[in-house]
Amino acid sequence: MGLTSGFFMGLMIAAALASVAATVWLWPRLASQRIAVVAGRLGLVAATQLLVIAAVLVFFNGYLGFFGSWSALFGGGSAAPASAAGAVASSRPIVVTGTDLGPVPGGSALPETVDGKLAAKPPHVYALHPAPTALAPAPGLDLSGGVASAARYVGKVLQVTLRGEHTGIVSAADYVYLPPQYFRPAYARTRFPVVLALTGYPNDPWSIVRRLALPATAARLAGTGQIGPAIYVMMNVSVALPRDTECTNVPAGPQALTFLAQDVPLAVERTFRAQSGRSGWAVMGYSTGGYCAVKLAMTDPYEFSSAVSMAGYYTAVTDRTTGNVYGGSVAFRNENNLDWRLGHLPAPPVSVLVTSSRVGEKDLPGTLAFLRLIRPPMQGYSLIVAQGGHNYGTWQRQLPQSLEWMNRRLAPARPQAARPPRG
Amino acid sequence: MGLTSPALVALLTVATALLLAAILGWWPRLAARGVRPVLLRVAALAALQMSVLSLIFVVINNSAEFYASWSELFGTEAGGGGVITGQQATAGRGAGHAVAPVTVTASSAVTGPGPAAAPGGQVQAVTFFGQLSGLRVPGFVYLPPGYPAATARLPVAVVISGELNASGQPYSVGRLAATAARQIAAGKLRPLILVMLPARIGPDQGCLDVPGGTQAAMFFTEDLPQAVGSGYRADPPAARRWALLADSAGGYCALALAMTSSQTFAAAALPPADYSAPPGPAEFGASPQIRTQDNLDWLLRRQPMQPVSVLFTGPGSAQPFLSGARPPMHVGQAGLAAGKWRLAGVIDWLGGVLRQPPGLRS
Repeated sequence: MGLTSGFFMGLMIAAALASVAATVWLWPRLASQRIAVVAGRLGLVAATQLLVIAAVLVFFNGYLGFFGSWSALFGGGSAAPASAAGAVASSRPIVVTGTDLGPVPGGSALPETVDGKLAAKPPHVYALHPAPTALAPAPGLDLSGGVASAARYVGKVLQVTLRGEHTGIVSAADYVYLPPQYFRPAYARTRFPVVLALTGYPNDPWSIVRRLALPATAARLAGTGQIGPAIYVMMNVSVALPRDTECTNVPAGPQALTFLAQDVPLAVERTFRAQSGRSGWAVMGYSTGGYCAVKLAMTDPYEFSSAVSMAGYYTAVTDRTTGNVYGGSVAFRNENNLDWRLGHLPAPPVSVLVTSSRVGEKDLPGTLAFLRLIRPPMQGYSLIVAQGGHNYGTWQRQLPQSLEWMNRRLAPARPQAARPPRG
Repeated sequence: MGLTSPALVALLTVATALLLAAILGWWPRLAARGVRPVLLRVAALAALQMSVLSLIFVVINNSAEFYASWSELFGTEAGGGGVITGQQATAGRGAGHAVAPVTVTASSAVTGPGPAAAPGGQVQAVTFFGQLSGLRVPGFVYLPPGYPAATARLPVAVVISGELNASGQPYSVGRLAATAARQIAAGKLRPLILVMLPARIGPDQGCLDVPGGTQAAMFFTEDLPQAVGSGYRADPPAARRWALLADSAGGYCALALAMTSSQTFAAAALPPADYSAPPGPAEFGASPQIRTQDNLDWLLRRQPMQPVSVLFTGPGSAQPFLSGARPPMHVGQAGLAAGKWRLAGVIDWLGGVLRQPPGLRS
């Protein structure tokens, strides 16, 4: 029974309604004024309240995409993704686990008539049932019939499991958006630039597809010529949920930074027609993903040439969810503090765009402080909106300008030159 | 009243408390039978519920700053309202100090084998400047014969040696370059670039990033490929055509890099030893976890294996690496009699591995 499944949601609502009904039913039996009976009333009301609150929390967890599964919430999972990946030949760094998500979910700005299915199956369907028969290797994507023609107009979102060749880390239920040009004959040999998009913590990558509407926004901007086509790889910033790894190479633990900065680009370049090298790669993210986007670019500037951080932070945080990610070392924690890096290490040759808002974002002072520390060859840009909290609505408003900013810094995907006329 | 104002929290808290007290106090009055009392019970519970949920939402929203205002919460906030501005670079602090990643300080021709003294390539004395690590490392680069005229990118072998300048020693610049030139002339080795570095690029022979200290791993895995790629026609590491070659002084460093940074180095050849004593500082950031990360034996037993080929060559034993390595790591040993360093064979092996890395070419 999945944490985000409709059945579990229905069960929680039924339990909440049943508790309200039971309270109304039992009401007359607790009508005397003895102290024990009054305590009984309190207990009954409290139980009702708790069940309703639990149902509301389950609903919002699904709606905002905090935790995609029980194992993401409580840990001890990883069995399902590991077996899903292990079932396939180990030579494939990326396994596609879902292709019929609909052409581009998450936006109504697209022609809905194409194939008539913008609505997607919820991702937990694939997470819970990684049917081995459905696993298809990405090269030679089986895009037969109507889906293929739809993909040529709006592109395609794939659900993937990504196995880190060098770190051994496996990340399941991530998404890749291939632009419409990817499926057109003129681009059949073109390699596309790539944007790596990272979630916040805790979060499910489906939120980038659905709530941030990154594929839909990119398709809309590309359709009007404001940006060029690119591949978008949308990943969970935490590689070991429920732990918050802060994209750090945890001493004696998961090497999350190497996974995101090295394994992911290598896997994408081997699986898709993606550009390799820094001129073809940018990284973006919101909240924790924003911190990680800038950290990836600053520590691996030869892999990423630019980074966008939406409502990110720039110091090395620790709290209950991160645990001892810095091995208890102040010096190592400093090296993960981006402010400290700018003050003590050579500045890397990357461009970063940081976003925040004047009202509603408590990280604004930290963002401005980070901007002031940037020095050549690093380039800093800011996008500060007047008002907006720490939510998808704010980031959606900042997304078009952010995509255009990244697009100007990426090597474009060029179609093959038309064959010169003979004679 | 603002969505995030403390007054709203106080108001909701008071309302919740009053509602709860009213329900508990007036309970008997609603206990009668009939439709009207039942509806009143439901309404009372619903009112309390709304009040509690609103309080929870406002408190969570205040701590996480999800929504800043009522208009944002109800979706009436519109417009981008922001302009991207570039940060003015503050001249002075660090600006204008761009240092070339590689500078050639001297160059000499390598004499090929045979009486005719065919051209054997050239050796350059260079200084690498790590753009990210800030390390300045002197070294040598061997370029094979025909390099200036050719256009193909060449594989790279990085030599980490403690005796680069000790002429006549097996891992000295002269012997390394002459051996490579002889093997290339004999057709046993495809042309490659040798990058020769001292075994001590920081205060010790360690090769990992010391927190707050020498960023040696960053130099080897980020700065060096960038510098070599900017100065020479070399394959990028992603082509799996970079390898390591080390003598006993550089062995620990080379093995540590092979086991932790196979995204840069596809193969390594080094002398067998037990490699149980990290040459780095004993303190290592005052963190037992970071010291553990520097322990090759621990990496072998506890970390996922990386796709790298390691050849132990020379006298001695390479346990526990021979028995402990699991795919995708491949470990082999070429046993040699004591005192014999057949450099030519080792370089040939590296050249062969670089031409066809096992199972990794796409």
